[in-house]
Amino acid sequence: MYADYAYLIVALPVLAFLLCLFLGWHLPRGGGFITVLATFGALIVSLGIFSETYPDKIIHQSMPWFADFNVGILIDPLALVMLLMVTFVVTLIHIYGNGYMNGDPGAARYFAEAALFSASMLGLVYADNLLQLFIFWELVGLCSYLLIGFWYRKPSAAAAAKKAFLTTRVGDVLFLAGIILLYNNLAGLNLALKPGEYLLQFPVIYAHLTQIAPDQLTLIALGLLGGAIGKSGQFPLHVWLPDAMEGPTTVSAMIHAATMVTAGVYLVARMFPLFYAAPYGLTAVAAVGAFTALFAATMGLTSFDIKRVLAFSTVSQLGFMMAGLGVGAAVGTFAVGVSIFHLIGHSFFKALLFLCAGSVIHAVNTNDMREMGGVGKYMKWTMYTMLIGSLSLAGFPLFTGFFSKDEIIVIAYEYGTLINFLPYIFLVLAAILTAIYTFRMWFSVFTGKERSDYAKHESPWVMLGPLVILAVFALGFGIAAQEDFYSYLDSNFEHYDLDFAELGVIGGHVLEGEHGAPAAEGEQGAAAAKGAAGEGEAGGEEGPGEPWYIQILPIIVAIGGILTAALFYWDKVKKFDPSQVTGEKDPIRKMLLKGYYQHEIMTGWFAETVVYGTALICNTIDIKLVDGWLNWLSAWVMGFAQHVRKVQTGIIQNYVTALVLGVVVLVVVITLAMEVGLV
Amino acid sequence: MIPLELYILLASTMFTIGLYGLVTQKNGVKLMMCIELLLNSANINLVAFSAYQPNVNGQVFALFSIALAAAEAGVGFAILIALYRLYGTIDLDNIKAMRW
Repeated sequence: MYADYAYLIVALPVLAFLLCLFLGWHLPRGGGFITVLATFGALIVSLGIFSETYPDKIIHQSMPWFADFNVGILIDPLALVMLLMVTFVVTLIHIYGNGYMNGDPGAARYFAEAALFSASMLGLVYADNLLQLFIFWELVGLCSYLLIGFWYRKPSAAAAAKKAFLTTRVGDVLFLAGIILLYNNLAGLNLALKPGEYLLQFPVIYAHLTQIAPDQLTLIALGLLGGAIGKSGQFPLHVWLPDAMEGPTTVSAMIHAATMVTAGVYLVARMFPLFYAAPYGLTAVAAVGAFTALFAATMGLTSFDIKRVLAFSTVSQLGFMMAGLGVGAAVGTFAVGVSIFHLIGHSFFKALLFLCAGSVIHAVNTNDMREMGGVGKYMKWTMYTMLIGSLSLAGFPLFTGFFSKDEIIVIAYEYGTLINFLPYIFLVLAAILTAIYTFRMWFSVFTGKERSDYAKHESPWVMLGPLVILAVFALGFGIAAQEDFYSYLDSNFEHYDLDFAELGVIGGHVLEGEHGAPAAEGEQGAAAAKGAAGEGEAGGEEGPGEPWYIQILPIIVAIGGILTAALFYWDKVKKFDPSQVTGEKDPIRKMLLKGYYQHEIMTGWFAETVVYGTALICNTIDIKLVDGWLNWLSAWVMGFAQHVRKVQTGIIQNYVTALVLGVVVLVVVITLAMEVGLV
Repeated sequence: MIPLELYILLASTMFTIGLYGLVTQKNGVKLMMCIELLLNSANINLVAFSAYQPNVNGQVFALFSIALAAAEAGVGFAILIALYRLYGTIDLDNIKAMRW
């Protein structure tokens, strides 16, 4: 029965958007409660659908739109867990936002845009075809632009919004190219579609993957990956994410946890069969993800802005998710479960961390960790909830982040034994750095002495409530849900007309899957068997295949990282004054602070020299050659007309004279012609 | 009976005078008069032919033509009065608001 109301999941936030947009000015607190109610309603509907469909049903509704396209709703396990996570986290963030945005003159605009943001993300998640997904994808981009630039009078916020919009647009163009290519390929097959089937619907795409040429599949996969890179802030398009901190902290929480950056990972997970079938598709995903994970983590080490640290950690964790999907070349669909599990867990603790950071910023009124210190004395609730979030992010045993990140590292190891160890090495290094920068942040904010004069009070309960709820999930979600989650997600692609073994042959993953694993012996053979188990029997159990040190390594990494951070930044261990650090002297620190000079290279060198130079040349050609020729032609016509128009004197006598002369000439000519005998 | 050639001669003389005036004169009223000359030269022809070829078609036609000329004169002079009010002159050389 709830399935009949699936459309409400998007319709309610859209309604809230309209209400807040037009009536919000007249409502108390900008009508924030409407947005909360709408997303809460969407959460209720999602829960109802979950209770009806779990564990083995999917919902697919569709109606024609135009030509080859339709609009539809597809709720399978993958979409459903995303729906639940987004509605849940977003509801909490909106509740928190009611406290955080209280008193802001633009509150109504904020809640309207936030509602539209939620609606777009939810629409993206349960779209049943790529075109619809793309439309919501763009809407998400638009909303992120509006919300990052929410304080648009601040030049840095306006610039950050523009940067986010343009950077993600680079990815979006690639995404659109991928969609068009996929459409062309599918249309070229001349499929006999049943009524109610449309070309870009996911089930149709899945069913016909084997018929598309492998090189085309690779191109399509790279296009889609380009979109995901832009949206999920992967290298080299991650530059917009740290700058996106210019928006209100709740917006950062929404972008980083629930609504925007996860879209890219979700897209890759949604199109996992395509990536799996495309030669080099998953390799590219794994390479991008693993590199980004380490790359962003190093930058998170040095930043002084508490929100930028969190932003880099988001980029890094998204890299983990991407890498988790990418190493699916070794373990099949099991990777989707692992990666999405990390996505969900991450959204809990990252939302928690951002909201905690917001709570701190609300009191201290600065983002700079050098001016905080000792906040824990006054904000006990914030401190302890943030501790839970940090432990979870660092991957401390038994916290949510431990289960999800650990599993990604383990499957990366399996990928290593089968194919290539690089992703594994990158991810382990990134995991160490994650623990270090997380606790560097926590220690510098909450311990030590007060380094500036800030308001010493705890945040109101409307803000703390969501923190506590999120903390519970950051703490317990992993241990409570892991097994069921993996098996549920692993069943996702069983609902479709798909044969992963066949796809694997196209994609060149012949070593694994049900057909695989004769390749190696010893440890490698065992790991390969685990890969087969992961795909074959809807995995979830810890394979006995990995050596004990692989199992234990993530724990060592997490605790070691936390201890390292404590050694440097905990005042009980070492007297350390972050306020003295500027990062001007130390070249490595300076490089990390500057983000590997990427801004300097991209904007300073690439944009100003190459792009601007090319633009100048094009401009010259355009003005001198294209325009010049046309201008010359029209100038000539004008000059000629200047002379000719003098004939039109406007003096009647001249006209009459011409008339009479004309008649005379005519008469003379005709007479002569008659004389000669022509007429 | 006056020979037909004389009528035609009279009519073509009148026509030529009218045409000459039309080309050379600048004054609006004179132009109107020249146009009347042109019209009436045609009328003379019509009546003359009608008398020589015994039926009254030509004379009826001439009546129509006179009525038409009256209407035309009415409109023409109205325009001239309007022009005079606007420009203070009816010298057509000075009326050139729509000229280049």
